[in-house]
Amino acid sequence: MTFFTIVVRGLMRRPVRTGLTLVGISIGIAAVVALVGISRGFETSWEAGMKTRGTDVVVSNMGSALTPKPFSASVVDRITPIPGVAETCSLLVELMSIEKAEMMIVSARQWGGFSWKNLKVVTGRLPHDAKERAVVLGKTAAEMLQKKVGDTLQLETEELAVVGIVDGGAVVENGSVVLSLSLLQELTGSEGKINIIDLRVTPGTSKEQLNKICDDITKAVPEARAVIAGEHIRDSQAYRMISAMSWGTSLLAVLVGVLGVMNTMLMTVFERTQEICILLAVGWKRRRIVRMVLLESALLGLLGGLGGVALGFIGVKLMINLPAIRGLLEPDLNLTLLARSVGIAVVVGIFSGLYPAWRSSRLSPSQALHG
Amino acid sequence: MATSDTGPGCVFEAIALKKEYDGGQVQALRGLDFRINEGEFVAIVGQSGSGKSTLLQLLGALDHPSTGTLHYRGSSLAERADLSDYRAHEIGFIFQAFHLLPTFTALENVQIPMFETNRPAADRKARAIELLRLVGLEGRQHHFPAKLSGGERQRVAIARSLANGASVLLADEPTGNLDSENAALILDLIVRLRREQSITLVLVTHDMSIARQAERVIEMKDGRISADTLNAATSRNPI
Repeated sequence: MTFFTIVVRGLMRRPVRTGLTLVGISIGIAAVVALVGISRGFETSWEAGMKTRGTDVVVSNMGSALTPKPFSASVVDRITPIPGVAETCSLLVELMSIEKAEMMIVSARQWGGFSWKNLKVVTGRLPHDAKERAVVLGKTAAEMLQKKVGDTLQLETEELAVVGIVDGGAVVENGSVVLSLSLLQELTGSEGKINIIDLRVTPGTSKEQLNKICDDITKAVPEARAVIAGEHIRDSQAYRMISAMSWGTSLLAVLVGVLGVMNTMLMTVFERTQEICILLAVGWKRRRIVRMVLLESALLGLLGGLGGVALGFIGVKLMINLPAIRGLLEPDLNLTLLARSVGIAVVVGIFSGLYPAWRSSRLSPSQALHG
Repeated sequence: MATSDTGPGCVFEAIALKKEYDGGQVQALRGLDFRINEGEFVAIVGQSGSGKSTLLQLLGALDHPSTGTLHYRGSSLAERADLSDYRAHEIGFIFQAFHLLPTFTALENVQIPMFETNRPAADRKARAIELLRLVGLEGRQHHFPAKLSGGERQRVAIARSLANGASVLLADEPTGNLDSENAALILDLIVRLRREQSITLVLVTHDMSIARQAERVIEMKDGRISADTLNAATSRNPI
């Protein structure tokens, strides 16, 4: 028998209570994993989308909505002369409800712009020109909309031909409906408006130079902001709100976990008062009692954390298939997040055990003789 | 550290030992003076509330005296830096209600005090097996307390009290929860072990038939020693 055996037996003394506490911690940690994983996934998915399009800098005005605010397409004329700018591609990106899909990315791109070039045709073809009243669908979007080449797609008031299914190399790209910029401007009555400019810089540009180009663009175009690709999503108030809410909810879940473990450990100490006094009476040092209680609560945290990570992982995998978010993001459930979540659970366990451990250390061995 | 010149044969020496509760409203011990010598078997008798269990708690360092001094082998217990060491290595406690840990087997219960020693796990187990054999429970090692009879539980408790090689056994009504047949067997076991291992035994009881087996009987009344007598039939040491 080892000291760890004693710790485990302490927890197994009330298996139902221990089990319920573990479920409580697991749900809390699952919430952390799911919410943080999804909010980070939102960021990384958009970043990956930018990378596959070969975008170095994004010019946009990320306001409080999930998509940027529109501005005049003429701002491109003020950007192209800036030194270091190699190529631009104007976009109008909207989140729209299309047929069966509650929310879908509609990505309208300047005809001939470089943002078309990453799209690999899986079946069918790309539109012949900017004027063709046609769309191509990312492969996930095609699945969600249950469309194939030759079908039509209702966009606003017009039925457009689906001429191709494409692989964009990233979740966001594959979940998009792609069409020419002028066509969407016409359909949505947004003539002359864009909300994103994808920009490539000259090869060999350093990070410092990239930052300077961003500063120069922001000065030249006060109605928008130039940000290195991937960072622009963090500028969005909506993203910040989602991120803050996910951390806030996680914090609440952790707090509930702390109270749950503390309650369990306090009950354990109260119930085992005489046992603890006997341990003191047979010569156990107070610090060993404290260590026993803290190890029990840490073990509760560890097991709850592992359960929570598993629960969160499975939950997120199920959640991303929901119609509302499918194709919008790939949750970022990296090892660091999972390890950190387990770490949080262990810290929660230890923290929650401090007061019960202190209480147990204050007991007098003389109580062993009573009862 | 305060020492006493009582000589090497004296295990305990109490000087004006008092214990009060509730700010002095309850006086459990009202100034005791006595000595207990090496290898003695002392029975402490008295009615409920006479202070005998309180005295045992002080001897076992489960509680502190309010005033007065208690020396153990010449040095004051109050001045010991770590009383848990004293409880772990110098004394063994046997309780009336056995006080075994219910979620541990007999073998594991005996190992519990050994966690405060440097013994490796295998040694702890071997020692526990040896002690259980000594108390006649070799076949019941893996039984939980709930599956043991009262007598068997007390045997496990006796084995536990000897786990770290205590030289003093403090027993608080060790047969109080047992039927007369088991009580006799347990008392015989304690007396035999005490004799074989040269242990000093202090036994609290209200049963005079048990007290008569001791070499010396301290009678307590209202927190005071009312009589301290040698049993002519069993005594070997002077008070």
